[in-house]
Amino acid sequence: MLDYAGTGAAARRTGIRRSRSEEATSLVRQIDWVLMGAVAALVAYGLWAIAGITREDVDGDPSYFVVRQGVFAALGTAGMLVAVLVDPSLYRRFSRAIYVCTVGIMGLVFVAGSVTRGSRRWLDVGFTQFQPSEFGKLLFVLALAGFLADRRRRTGETATILRAVGLALVPIVLVFLQPDFGTALVYAAALGAVLFVAGARWLHVAALAALAALAALALLWLLPAFGIEVLKPYQSARLTAFTAPDSDPSDTTYNLNQSKLAVGAGGLRGRGVEGSTQTNLGLLPEHRTDFAFASLAEQRGFVGASILLCLYLLVLWRGVRIIPTAGDAFSAIAAGGIVVALLFQVFVNVGMTMGIAPITGIPLPFVSVGGSSMIANLVTIGVLQAIQIRSRGVPRRP
Amino acid sequence: MTRARGSVPNRRIRLLLAVLVLMFALAFGRTVWLQGIRAEPLARLAESQHRQTVALPASRGAIYDRTGVQLAIGERATSVYADPRQVRNPRAVAIAAGQLLGRDPDDVLEELADRRRSFVFLRRKADPAAADAVRRRGLVGVGFLDEERRAYPQGSIAAHVLGYAGLDNDGLAGLEKQLDPVLAGVPGSETIVKDPFGRAVKVIRSTPEQNGRDVHLTLDQNLQANAELVLAKVLRESRAKSATAVVLDPRSGELLALAVAPTFDANRFGELAAQRTRNLTVTDTYEPGSTFKLITVGAVLSEGLATPATAYTLPYEIQVADRKIHDSHPRDTERMTVAEILSRSSNVGTVTLGQELGKRRLARWIEHFGFGRPTGIDFPGETRGIVLPAERWSDSSIGNIPIGQGIAVTPVQMAAAYAAVANRGVWVRPHLVRRIGRGPRVRGARKRLVSRDVAAKLVEMLRGVVDEGGTGTAAAVPGYTVAGKTGTASKPDERGGYSTSRYVASFVGVVPASDPRLVILVTIDEPRSAIWGGVVAAPVFADLARFALQYLEVPPDAR
Repeated sequence: MLDYAGTGAAARRTGIRRSRSEEATSLVRQIDWVLMGAVAALVAYGLWAIAGITREDVDGDPSYFVVRQGVFAALGTAGMLVAVLVDPSLYRRFSRAIYVCTVGIMGLVFVAGSVTRGSRRWLDVGFTQFQPSEFGKLLFVLALAGFLADRRRRTGETATILRAVGLALVPIVLVFLQPDFGTALVYAAALGAVLFVAGARWLHVAALAALAALAALALLWLLPAFGIEVLKPYQSARLTAFTAPDSDPSDTTYNLNQSKLAVGAGGLRGRGVEGSTQTNLGLLPEHRTDFAFASLAEQRGFVGASILLCLYLLVLWRGVRIIPTAGDAFSAIAAGGIVVALLFQVFVNVGMTMGIAPITGIPLPFVSVGGSSMIANLVTIGVLQAIQIRSRGVPRRP
Repeated sequence: MTRARGSVPNRRIRLLLAVLVLMFALAFGRTVWLQGIRAEPLARLAESQHRQTVALPASRGAIYDRTGVQLAIGERATSVYADPRQVRNPRAVAIAAGQLLGRDPDDVLEELADRRRSFVFLRRKADPAAADAVRRRGLVGVGFLDEERRAYPQGSIAAHVLGYAGLDNDGLAGLEKQLDPVLAGVPGSETIVKDPFGRAVKVIRSTPEQNGRDVHLTLDQNLQANAELVLAKVLRESRAKSATAVVLDPRSGELLALAVAPTFDANRFGELAAQRTRNLTVTDTYEPGSTFKLITVGAVLSEGLATPATAYTLPYEIQVADRKIHDSHPRDTERMTVAEILSRSSNVGTVTLGQELGKRRLARWIEHFGFGRPTGIDFPGETRGIVLPAERWSDSSIGNIPIGQGIAVTPVQMAAAYAAVANRGVWVRPHLVRRIGRGPRVRGARKRLVSRDVAAKLVEMLRGVVDEGGTGTAAAVPGYTVAGKTGTASKPDERGGYSTSRYVASFVGVVPASDPRLVILVTIDEPRSAIWGGVVAAPVFADLARFALQYLEVPPDAR
């Protein structure tokens, strides 16, 4: 078990006890403004990128998507501010409810969800569609963090780990069955992160990693070899395509090849909005959602792509910095899950556009067009800030 | 991480950070690889996959005769091709190609079996109707291209002049070659941007094609057709190897007909041996024989050494160096005027005149008349003939060059020389192109060869040839005065010396002599019936002249 700045003896030693008024003033003081600035810059940069990427997408309305995305960013910012004000201990207290809620909305997709491109990921809520698995990411992490924080003295025990994995597998499998393999992968990464931060034994971590690898192997190669198709053929083809991108350029690896062409064609300074034929001519599929990074790289070049990666890196640094200074075990575990889930998603998305990660349909946080993703990610940052605010006596330097 | 007081310094978090940073480093490195190192080839690939530059063929200009009759035109044709990778039923395609396009189905099947190729022609420039029949069969993997095929609607008429344009519409011979820069035009190009489904989204950077310009020739389709007809007849009757006819307007240098026999179908040019398709009037030479005497006499008159009435005492035979020169028909020693020397085609008389000129002056006049250098006619492959410079003449040369032996000229050179005399002494460069596109009428370069007075005297003397007692009476045209000259030249032997059985019979004449409108030259190579120009060639001249004068509605000038 880790010893956090705010737990037990440490808290008592520092003797910090806050009043509500103190809390209000410290709220502004304690917010990680660097993280805030990085996220704000990411959102602004993402909107700018989307403005270029989607200029040709809607005839006669070049700003259609950027305006929508701007509205979502505003909604997300509001959600973030609300999340900042909420004491994370509340999530801990209601972690069971959160878990049930997570599983519930995942299940709801199967009952009431709408099918898009063979995948049941969205819920219709009047004016727009809502993708539960994006919000589910945060809820999933909070629920697991609550479970593990309650058992923080027993995280070394195999039974605890197994129960945690068992609990986690329910939403993971549900997401997987939508099917949304990418998000399931992110959930799995978040599970690994919370277990790791909560203090699971190295042996358990290693065993889980090995199991995950085995499971992947089984899904992709072993079971199909025995005639058991868990994944749809297109899924497994997409997942393995990045290992052999030239196998069949017309079909499976079309997206990947087009994406690589887009990134490469961008060169150092990019081809600009006008000259980005991969994006504008629709050669690059899903260029405003899953392959937004490739579009950005085509239009803005290495310079533009690097700026984005650096902003993520800033978020990564400030996010990881919060984990050891968190006010309690729950906060630390939640922060770990949140940061890993977010940045793992960034890596998987960016990596897939360049052929170093399997092709999975997950959005690029703060950039890809999509309301659920934008709002959920901003709220998640709000939760991270809430944890930061309530960290205790912690030096600023990581 | 910082070691907070009381908190465990976190190896785990450091590890977590390291793993995440490593992932980012990986992504960053990949970005550098794709956008830095591989940028150029990827950009090229990205360009090529949606851009296609298509050539826009320029249509080839048509060739018309002087009256507007189409001699060479672009005809709609459809090329039929197949993509072996897309063909689903090679047998059906092969059968269709065999039935409709005249291909051997086995060959087609073999070509379709080669799946490395994505394009094979089933038939280049097929008849559009046949291509449509193939289209109706709805075969997968078979495509059609609209193209232009060169066609010569008049068949054999002027085939030797027109030459040939190949499958790619490029002039390969004759006027098609000469005029290629004008006829061909400039192909355009456009770059088509295509969406992932191959549909053209937009067209950028389009260079419009510039169609070739039409060309109007000086040839008259009727005169040309008649000339070819007449030559074909004489070829049949005389059993000659070949024959040529040049019909020239002496005033303008315009060639009204330029005929070669035997003829061939211009549409089948490509299938014939080059020998068969040569325009002999420009590319080949012959020894002119007596028709050349005009030049000797013209030189003598111009030099003021004699007048047409100057008389000479001439034996039947004279000795020049190691050679004996005699007239064609035995006679006693006679006094003959210069006019009689020409009209009776006396070799001895002409050589005597040549001796009076001397070799240097004669050589200069030969050159002056345009022999030994190209006329500059607008036809490819013109030969300049064989004319020895004075320094290289042998002692006996003065005994044969004045009478047109030991010298080789083209029919066009000879016709142009006579035309100069007919045109009051002014030579006009013979030409075939009358007008290009909407451009101005082409005018041939001019040069005075002899004085107006000498020219008039020469024409007058040439009239004697056709008159009673001359060698060319068969060239007479009822109602018109004719001035002309016969020629009968034995052909050089491969063994050296001259053949006693192989001759070139020729006649070159001017009508109407009083106001020349036409110069007509006829050469007949190796006639077997009779060898004499006056017998074989002169009637051909008369045929051509009669038809042409009537056709051109030239008023008769004789009683």
